[in-house]
Amino acid sequence: MLFPTLTFGIFFLIVFSVSWSMRWIPETRKWFLVGASYFFYGWWDWRFMFLLFGTTLFNYLGGLALGRTEGSATRKVIVAVTVGVDLAVLAFFKYYDFFLTSLDTILTTLGLHRDLPFMEVILPIGISFFTFQGISYVVDVYRGHVNAEHSLLDVLLFKSFFPQLVAGPIVRAADFMPQLHQPPRLTRDHVAVGVVLVLSGLFKKMVIANYLATDLVDPIFFDPTAVGPLDLLVGIYGYAVQIYCDFSGYSDIAIGIAALLGYQFLPNFNQPYRAASLQDFWRRWHISLSTWLRDYLYIPLGGNRHGEVARYRNLFLTMFLGGLWHGAAWTFIFWGSFHGAMLGVEQWARKKLNEFAPVHDEEPGIFSKLGDFAWHVVGVFVTFHLVCFAWIFFRSDSFSTAASYLAGFFDWSADNSYNTPFLVGMIALAMVFQFTPRNLGRELALAIRGLPFPALGLLLGVGLLAIWAIAPEGVAPFIYFQF
Amino acid sequence: MLDLIERKAENDDAEEQGLTWVDIIDTHDNIGRFTRAMWIAVFLLAIFNSAQLVTVVNGFDVGPVQNAVVALVATWNDQMEKNKLNEPVAMVRDVMQELRGVTWSSLSDASDRGASVLRGPLDQGRG
Repeated sequence: MLFPTLTFGIFFLIVFSVSWSMRWIPETRKWFLVGASYFFYGWWDWRFMFLLFGTTLFNYLGGLALGRTEGSATRKVIVAVTVGVDLAVLAFFKYYDFFLTSLDTILTTLGLHRDLPFMEVILPIGISFFTFQGISYVVDVYRGHVNAEHSLLDVLLFKSFFPQLVAGPIVRAADFMPQLHQPPRLTRDHVAVGVVLVLSGLFKKMVIANYLATDLVDPIFFDPTAVGPLDLLVGIYGYAVQIYCDFSGYSDIAIGIAALLGYQFLPNFNQPYRAASLQDFWRRWHISLSTWLRDYLYIPLGGNRHGEVARYRNLFLTMFLGGLWHGAAWTFIFWGSFHGAMLGVEQWARKKLNEFAPVHDEEPGIFSKLGDFAWHVVGVFVTFHLVCFAWIFFRSDSFSTAASYLAGFFDWSADNSYNTPFLVGMIALAMVFQFTPRNLGRELALAIRGLPFPALGLLLGVGLLAIWAIAPEGVAPFIYFQF
Repeated sequence: MLDLIERKAENDDAEEQGLTWVDIIDTHDNIGRFTRAMWIAVFLLAIFNSAQLVTVVNGFDVGPVQNAVVALVATWNDQMEKNKLNEPVAMVRDVMQELRGVTWSSLSDASDRGASVLRGPLDQGRG
């Protein structure tokens, strides 16, 4: 059940009406939301509802056991077993075929032919997201950041709540559980924020991402050798915008729907292409994942506590595993490794620059400010192009496609027929919104919070109608559903 | 923007307290307000985008209830088309198709034509 469909619209209408009518009996309301979330998940494949329930039950029991155990060694064993089982489930469903295929290739290269137990494992949608959510819950209980939850119902809702279930944002127990302990509340602000986010998310996904995908990115990546360098350049800019609008559009809708049901999620994107460094980029892109990787991988690996070399190694390992999390393919691993390596290079360069020209405390003069601004512009330009370079590998189905894409920049004989004024305008429009004031959405929400219901209904109806009319026919699946 | 819906610090441990009467009335009002707004939106979509409804119900299985729904939606869509209520959406779609078809050369021709209009006719008698 995709968000931008009539089916989901009907589903949401029912969930909104019924769940709020149950607000006087919070436990029943939570059971209803759990049921609705499982129905939403089972719409794709009902068999995986059991997997979702099984892993949730395991995390719940792990949390309870941690809450009742005092001994440090026993607690370590409990958290290791729980996290280990979570990762084993993820590894089986997501990486089994990938590892066996890679092993087969290595054995064949070495001349060792073996019959490996290949299986066609179906990837349960959203498994990477709900696994990470489960791990964060158990680790937070172990670290004492949250109390072990005694109510199975609350853990079920935390892990399966349908707005974030299949493609995030990855919600933390510390942020969500306290909301489940409070009575549900819907204010004018919830409604305003929900409407703005749902409409902006639908516009990003259905209009910008879908046009760029169907008219530009998909045909170019299908055969990069058939197009000229200008098309390839516009194609990768187009993909950078498409993946942003696709994923941040999904996050906006998810956060908006949660707000309309009375819950708050943290923001997942913050104008990432205005970042002036890769470190800044990762503070703005898929924030729930980058903070997850920081808190549950980078810091446990040692973070920046054991010297410079260890810090670069930890950065690289974190991003390498972040790449692997995205998908079972070497192109994703390269994408993550590239980011990890470049983050290390960036930190090293910054350190050397600071040694060479230390920052002074005094008030900078006009030339110094101009110089800083110029550096900032250069930083934004370079960061965006480094990110775009890495996107080529992220989007390509194999290294040979990525290599053809890069080689195509040096072949000036091919035609440039895909970049049209419409698509270039679409990319430019999306990029403009990367540099608008940060509180634009807030101002919009404040503007509509006081609207009476007929005006709000008109805004919602005309907004949906306009998006439907402007968007191309059909709804492409969200890119992050495959992860 | 999400700071707008953040619960205030003094309400964070409201587990035992529950909501105040102001919160309860506010929630009640906003549920009603948004429900009515949603129905207006549904009504607008059903009127101006009825063709989409036909696409959805055409995916239904065959059965007495499903057939009745399909027939009802088809009749509804016919009525909307007869009253030309589908035209605004069709018009926007046509404009979008035109925009998609614009090429750099046609854009250049159009800008040349625009420039010549601004420049005015060349006076042959001078120069």
